[in-house]
Amino acid sequence: MSATNENNLQIKLQSLIETIDVANVLTEPITNSIENLLRISAAAMNSEEASVLIRDGDQGDLRFLSAIGKVAGKILNLKVPAGKGIAGFVLSSGQPMAVANVGDESFFYDEVDKSTGYSTQTILATPLRYNDEIIGVLEYVNRIGDPPFEPFTPAEMDSAALFAEAISTLVHAYGSTKLFQELDNKIIKNKNETDYTEVRRWLETLRDSAEHREMMDLAILLREVSSRGDGERQLCRELLESILRFSDTKTETSLLSF
Amino acid sequence: MTDVIVSESNSGSSNLFQIDDNWKKLTGKGVSVAIIDSGIDVEHPDLHGKIKESVEAQRENKRIVFEPSETGDSAGHGTACAGIIAKIAPDAQLHSVKVLGAGGIGDGQTFLAGLEYSIKKRYRVINLSLGTTKPQFFAPLHDLLDRAYQAGCIVVAAANNLPQPSFPSVFSSSLISVIKSAETDPYNFGFHYGEIIELTAPGVNVRTPWLGKGYRNLTGNSFACPHIAGIIALLLEAYPDLTPFQVKSALYAIAKENQENPARQTNI
Repeated sequence: MSATNENNLQIKLQSLIETIDVANVLTEPITNSIENLLRISAAAMNSEEASVLIRDGDQGDLRFLSAIGKVAGKILNLKVPAGKGIAGFVLSSGQPMAVANVGDESFFYDEVDKSTGYSTQTILATPLRYNDEIIGVLEYVNRIGDPPFEPFTPAEMDSAALFAEAISTLVHAYGSTKLFQELDNKIIKNKNETDYTEVRRWLETLRDSAEHREMMDLAILLREVSSRGDGERQLCRELLESILRFSDTKTETSLLSF
Repeated sequence: MTDVIVSESNSGSSNLFQIDDNWKKLTGKGVSVAIIDSGIDVEHPDLHGKIKESVEAQRENKRIVFEPSETGDSAGHGTACAGIIAKIAPDAQLHSVKVLGAGGIGDGQTFLAGLEYSIKKRYRVINLSLGTTKPQFFAPLHDLLDRAYQAGCIVVAAANNLPQPSFPSVFSSSLISVIKSAETDPYNFGFHYGEIIELTAPGVNVRTPWLGKGYRNLTGNSFACPHIAGIIALLLEAYPDLTPFQVKSALYAIAKENQENPARQTNI
């Protein structure tokens, strides 16, 4: 294949990828699954509205990722500032909480209700955890039927914790997929200046095992070195092969361990 | 001298402690109680004049220090916990140690620093209606709890209600851990020896003070925990020399008595 043909193919491929709705193609199945779980769990909880809020940035802000109910469309992507509202507290304290009479008093973080025209009266909020990290909040609001609404019970609080466990796995998958999607976009748009800091930050959040994390970190390092140029790639390969040769001479245990 | 009587039992089933009910008439006077939480709204009518000190975590270079706080409560949770304690022990000296929503920080490190600060100050009762599931905090928290035990500070922690264990509520020896029950009488708490979380206290639809001088009906282990903190403040006023171990034994004895003789229940 000539160099011109190769270039043309690359340009065609690039424009093809750009025409696909890359913003949603990877994450949509995950958000659909979260929504389905919300629907099933809300029915089991006899709750009218349910939503998932996820961390938005590093400062404890939250954003509605998924919602079901009358105002679901209006609620998506609304933000809750750090520490505000019941969700904000649950995120920072890690303690689930149910409030029976939210609307009775003057003080309530009602910006979400103001934006949607909805009236929150009773609420149950429980943290979403993944690998010991709190990654968001699961909320159930009001009951099916007409007010006044019965408060959420301790048994429902326990059920919500189980639903939260299932949903948090999906929320984590959503976060990882979104990161790779964004990185992919950056690579397509600007393939010579890939920023690896985000990947590193993501790796830091992985807590599966220290060994796994180190392997992934090494892989990223290799990729970064390789991207610097042919000389770096060649040097890296020679160094690694030297280490292998050295290690092969030691049959029992690695002399590199100390 | 203490009025707590240790009785020898031949049957093996009677109380280890016999405590008269006089402590129930007390108010927690002179007993310091730290509330490590989101701060306290000192202007709330239920709490006015009851908060002896309010401090909040600040990051100073890489250290976390505690400075006097005027930012009140950022979430309502600390106010709710303080209100529950003040209802049971109205004359206890409440100390607000703000670690959540303080100066934009609220991580596990801040929580640990708040606990360390309270132990150094030797507050007699420390209310922890929060916890962490991060394993990296297991060892430092365990160490701090041992220090609290040795310093005579009685730490009361809320369980987290979730499938994962949370720290420090699962440390059974060095602190008192609490889970909610539908009981409404704060004196009628339960003790379940052998369970990871030993104590049960009212935590369902508890009417508590909230921000904006309001009230809320709240459900959660967070609100069971301060009930026990309040009860301990009363016990410590009656028996100031009780050690953490003795306090736990006293709670066990009272709970056993509650169970065997429900007529003793009292409403406040």
